[in-house]
Amino acid sequence: MEIDRIGVVGLITTVFAALIFSTLIVEYEFPVFKYADPDQPPKLVESETAIIGQEVSRFLWDYRAIDLIAQAFVLFAAAACCTALLRTEERKK
Amino acid sequence: MFTPPLDALLMLMVATPAVGWVAYKKGYRKVPGIYASASLLVAAYFLYGLYKEVEVAENGIVTRAFDIPLGACLEIDFFSVFMAFLYIIIGLFATVYSIKFMERDSGLTEYYTLMLGMIAGMTGIVFAGDFFTLFVFWELMCLTSYALVAFRKQKWEPIEAGFKYLIMSAAGSATILLAMSFLYGMTGTLNFAALADGLTAATSEGWLYITLALVIVGFGVKAAIVPFHTWLPDAHSAAPSPISAMLSGVMVQTGACALVRVLLLVFNSAQPAWQMTLAVFAVFTMFGGNLMALLQDDLKRLLAFSTIANLGYIIFGFATVSHDGLTASLFHITNHAIMKTLLFLCAGAFIRQTKTRDLRKLRGIGKIMPVTGVFFAIGTIAIAAFPPLNGFWSEMMIIAAGVRAEMIIFSTLTLANMALSVVYYFRLIRIIILEEPTKVSKRATKAPVSMLIPLLILAFLCVFIGVYPGPFIGASSKAAEALLNIEAYADAVLGGL
Amino acid sequence: MISLNYYIACAVALYIIGMYCLASKRNMIKLVMGIEILVNAAHLSFVAFSAYRSVGYIDPLGHAIVIMSIGFAGCITALALTIVTYAYKHYKTLDVRKLRRLRW
Repeated sequence: MEIDRIGVVGLITTVFAALIFSTLIVEYEFPVFKYADPDQPPKLVESETAIIGQEVSRFLWDYRAIDLIAQAFVLFAAAACCTALLRTEERKK
Repeated sequence: MFTPPLDALLMLMVATPAVGWVAYKKGYRKVPGIYASASLLVAAYFLYGLYKEVEVAENGIVTRAFDIPLGACLEIDFFSVFMAFLYIIIGLFATVYSIKFMERDSGLTEYYTLMLGMIAGMTGIVFAGDFFTLFVFWELMCLTSYALVAFRKQKWEPIEAGFKYLIMSAAGSATILLAMSFLYGMTGTLNFAALADGLTAATSEGWLYITLALVIVGFGVKAAIVPFHTWLPDAHSAAPSPISAMLSGVMVQTGACALVRVLLLVFNSAQPAWQMTLAVFAVFTMFGGNLMALLQDDLKRLLAFSTIANLGYIIFGFATVSHDGLTASLFHITNHAIMKTLLFLCAGAFIRQTKTRDLRKLRGIGKIMPVTGVFFAIGTIAIAAFPPLNGFWSEMMIIAAGVRAEMIIFSTLTLANMALSVVYYFRLIRIIILEEPTKVSKRATKAPVSMLIPLLILAFLCVFIGVYPGPFIGASSKAAEALLNIEAYADAVLGGL
Repeated sequence: MISLNYYIACAVALYIIGMYCLASKRNMIKLVMGIEILVNAAHLSFVAFSAYRSVGYIDPLGHAIVIMSIGFAGCITALALTIVTYAYKHYKTLDVRKLRRLRW
């Protein structure tokens, strides 16, 4: 079996990079919400599986309506992209 | 909902398939193109209305905001209007040109839908006042541009270039998303104003620098900063010519503009770090673009590498973080959009008539197609920065701003690059205009008039801005001022709290 | 509750795995999967942060962003797979090294 050199070298580097980064992350504390504005409390939701879905969808409509509508256009554009590429060549002369 | 120009673009984009279907049933093939051009004119009209609104608004900022800092938000200042106007104008030229250029292709309805979608996405990016809102429009721009690059899917080259572009650019978008998650983890919000407000205290925070690196890489893929530029020459040469013009004239610059807006607003406390990084990347980008352009034998690839070099100049101007530098960069973005659109559209006319992009076969084509040849020569001389034309002013302004910001070494390197670029621009002029026509170019016929009209206007603009640069520099200066006025930007949405 | 650092380490590790996948895999479908891994690294990080906002509560902003972002990832994948089908029609192979006809 042929050994893929790029694969082997890449794998070793990747494992090392992942190890180094993980140690760094565990060593150095991430500043979790250290710079959050204390005057602006977040709109927290109780951590109950039954209500998270509803609360998040309510949050989406209350606060992120612009993004949701824009996302509808993105989905439309994605559909247009796929139909544009999957079109059949019918007008060949 | 959004602001009127963005609403108009998105709504008219959604209506395009219906118009195209009716036109197809009736047998009018040109209707979708004319409809798209008309839509862009409508959007330009609404944008003018928005400009009036911005002019009278307090601090020159109009906001469309839900509950800040958690909700979605659009903030329009003079910079946004300036860039959006550029997108719509360049889009209009490309669309009008496409009506004739693309007439032999199928799927025209989808083509114009995607074109309008791309312009809407770019407009949304400069309007966004929230990182995630920016990301939504970023995805709109990216998706449509992938499909437009791979549009002529019956050939191998667009498919391959499109795939390469998609993989690289999607990896860039994912990097931006990871950076966003870290910013969210630090501040609990993604609103630009709130981020700018919260992160001013974070001067010596290691994680801020990791996030900064992710942001530069993520936007850098789209802005074709040199180690991440490899998609650009393939995508530009494989796409249909009007799309190449759009990609190279405005879309790549959108990446650079989004990058500089995020850096200025969010990473204000880490400014010395990113200023130096950007300057170094800018020099790499210039050298990479110019040296590779010297070696090309493919007309569109050469122009694509020249785009990379010009992005180097633009990013260098941004890296000075002074009012002069930003003015120069924004002015150069305007000029470069005009010149590069002109060059790509001329190249498209040559390619359409000869069916080849090889410079060896295109020798002397300017003698066979004299009108297009003259426009091409004007564009080349302008981009080679010769005094009476527009490229000269902006490139000199960039160097002057660099000197004033005490970045003498980088300014010298920029000047050396501009001198280097003259070599291949003159080679281009010699090959296209001065040499004896080859067999292939002798078979070419003159370009149709409807393709020449956009070229004429663009060439006229090159000369006009060169002779009379004052108002354009004034507009760029105003836009740069809006870009640098971080406090007003933050106050516009947080002030009332 | 486990320390948040493990989640961040996991997200960064996923990101590195995704980059490795993009850099070294030959199969085009696997490249598309690499993109998905990259995007999901960011999603994991968002959801972890939103759970650690304060004990016993979650911050809906992170969840909202992830829900929308999953949609975008789907769009990208759909388009990528469309292009892959055409690449397969042209070359009769999915090996990305066979189709590197483009110069650098």
